[in-house]
Amino acid sequence: MRLSPWKSYLFLVPALVYVGVFGVYPLAYNFLLSLKDVTLITYIGGTSQWTGFANYVETLQDPVFQRTLTNTLIFTGLSLLFQFIIGFLLALLFNRSFPLKGLLQSLIMVPWVLPIIVSGSFFRWFFSDRGMVNGFLLSWGLIEKPIPWITSQQWPIFSVTMANIWLGIPFNFVLLYTGLRGIPLELFESADIDGANWWQRVFFITIPLLRPVIITTLTLGCIFTVKVFDLVWIITQGGPGDVSHLLSTLSYSLAFNKFHFGRASAVLVIMLVLITGLTMLLNSIRAEEEGSLG
Amino acid sequence: MKALKIGLIVFMLVLCGSWVLAQEKITITVQDYFDPAGGMAKFIDEMAVEFEKSHPTVKVNHVYIPFAQLLPTILQQSLTKTVPELTMADNPWVPQLIKAGTYKDITEKVEEWGWENWEDFFRGHREVTSSEGRIYAFQITTNNLALFYRKGLLEKAGISQPPATWQELKEQCKKIKEALGIYGFAFCATASEEGTWQFEPFLWSNGGSLLELDQPEAIEALQFLTDLVKNDYTPRDVVTVSGQGDVTQWFINAEVAMMVNGNWEFGWHLTEDVMQELGDVEVATLPVPQEGMKPVVPFGGECFGISSNIDPAKYDLAWEFLKALASPESMLQANIKHGGLPTRASVAEKILAERPILKPFLEQAQYALPRPLVGGIDKYPDVSSTVWVAVQKALTEMLTPEEALKEAAKAIRELFSPEEYEMYRKMARELLNEAMGK
Repeated sequence: MRLSPWKSYLFLVPALVYVGVFGVYPLAYNFLLSLKDVTLITYIGGTSQWTGFANYVETLQDPVFQRTLTNTLIFTGLSLLFQFIIGFLLALLFNRSFPLKGLLQSLIMVPWVLPIIVSGSFFRWFFSDRGMVNGFLLSWGLIEKPIPWITSQQWPIFSVTMANIWLGIPFNFVLLYTGLRGIPLELFESADIDGANWWQRVFFITIPLLRPVIITTLTLGCIFTVKVFDLVWIITQGGPGDVSHLLSTLSYSLAFNKFHFGRASAVLVIMLVLITGLTMLLNSIRAEEEGSLG
Repeated sequence: MKALKIGLIVFMLVLCGSWVLAQEKITITVQDYFDPAGGMAKFIDEMAVEFEKSHPTVKVNHVYIPFAQLLPTILQQSLTKTVPELTMADNPWVPQLIKAGTYKDITEKVEEWGWENWEDFFRGHREVTSSEGRIYAFQITTNNLALFYRKGLLEKAGISQPPATWQELKEQCKKIKEALGIYGFAFCATASEEGTWQFEPFLWSNGGSLLELDQPEAIEALQFLTDLVKNDYTPRDVVTVSGQGDVTQWFINAEVAMMVNGNWEFGWHLTEDVMQELGDVEVATLPVPQEGMKPVVPFGGECFGISSNIDPAKYDLAWEFLKALASPESMLQANIKHGGLPTRASVAEKILAERPILKPFLEQAQYALPRPLVGGIDKYPDVSSTVWVAVQKALTEMLTPEEALKEAAKAIRELFSPEEYEMYRKMARELLNEAMGK
């Protein structure tokens, strides 16, 4: 039996309701909050005033926000770059067989399986003045005084980025490794016969064929990285001072430390714009790619 | 006959119905963030059982919300008018919640109960739970900060008495470093309220105010702490600890000989078995800037109030429960189990007999200050986060204490209108002077 066209649209209703309730409504509400002066008192009392784009103006002019935006870009850029390179190299390595492969493969997955509260607390200790990194460096005589990995102005954002790279490697590895297994072996065999070396095989066969997977990996990685919150919150809470905030931790701190809900929402909207922008950029590369192939 | 039978059946049905209705219990919900396995939560559970026994129609529902979720939860509940009958909050939030209309004005009930009950509460606790002469909540437990020290470690470094002044603290740290190679002193300077809260005793004891941070008293206080870190008497990691509990771990591991911490540690990390194992933990009042001065500390602790959206039919019952919780007997028992300090003068005397180690805390409690009242009332959370950022910047040498505090002072002034600022500044000054005994 064929359904009449309007009846078949009914199947969309559950999905639409779901997206509406859990997607559109919170986003719209968050946007409305960002246009108001919302504090604890005005929120409960329901007396928040409309202030137009004042929250955005204030946010954009705030030096802490500017530093935070830079931090977020550094954090996202470096994380994506190194997670990808290391994940890709590991995928290439594991694409051949060698002893203990299975065991090593499961070890690579450890960062992904650990709860962030555990790995975050570990990194806080790892990077602390009296922690493991400084302990090694001191005992090998490489430094005389502990390096303030997370207790100085310049280092903390790079330290949390390193922690995040470690956490992101398994994700990149899994996607790229799965992609690699999908490339027909005959291609490599015929390249071998033609006398191609390892580098040529990677650059002329693997990477071009892996492109869709690479772009998906980067897009998802980008979304996951821009919104990282817990890791940084556990290691530095945005400190010391306010030098290691990401947009997510800044927004949380504005809302629940200072009770500036309006400004916190504005930061979230900016973060959303950033994620959307970066994703669209990556998508446009893919579209171009497909266009050129077709 | 038939009519009689029907009448009888109807009568029985009505009887059954009213019996069923009578079984429908009235629920009173108590909401707090006390660890369900901890002493305070267990005490409230026991109280609930007692209350249900004496009020057979009432069911007391005790709900636990983790600390980080309590405020967001209260916000949601306020919007939907579903704030539970009895709601607990951390004391720095209370002035804001009162102003936002979350709590019901219970002044009349308190009057009925007797003013002597209200006046029994220490002044700071009365101030934080009332507004413009009206009463909204009771603070049932409190805590503050004192100096914990390892007597054995001090003796090994040739020190017989804990430091009484800042100068002595510095000298003893030097001796400890030379003799034992460990840190002398630690405090918590994390990026949260805990960071500000641990800075306040140094600021206030030196006569500094959160609303006058660019003044010499404040700069001196931060300079003192910064020097301790600079001289390696205090680990610089104090800025990244996850909280005050981390510092206690260093203390237990003998990585530091002295620390600033609160009495709740006796119910948390320094439990009886740990205390016995270490064998040399003692507590003294906090060192003061100059001999003859008083340590002025902030107080913490939790307040219970009745929700403003309460069903009028439940108000009397909720009040009875609250009154029982705030009664001297309950307060004593609850705080013994919780490791907390009572907030009523009459109870404070009694708890010392049970827990003598609390003496320094109780001594300080009498002139301890409520944070919001000396920190801009409902702007306190904002003021506080500005302060911990400044403290961290100074301790990590990004800025000098003077630069960091000037920056903070400016940011804090901009939170208020000039008239408001002047009013709060004066109020803080008066309360501080009074606490310092000037």
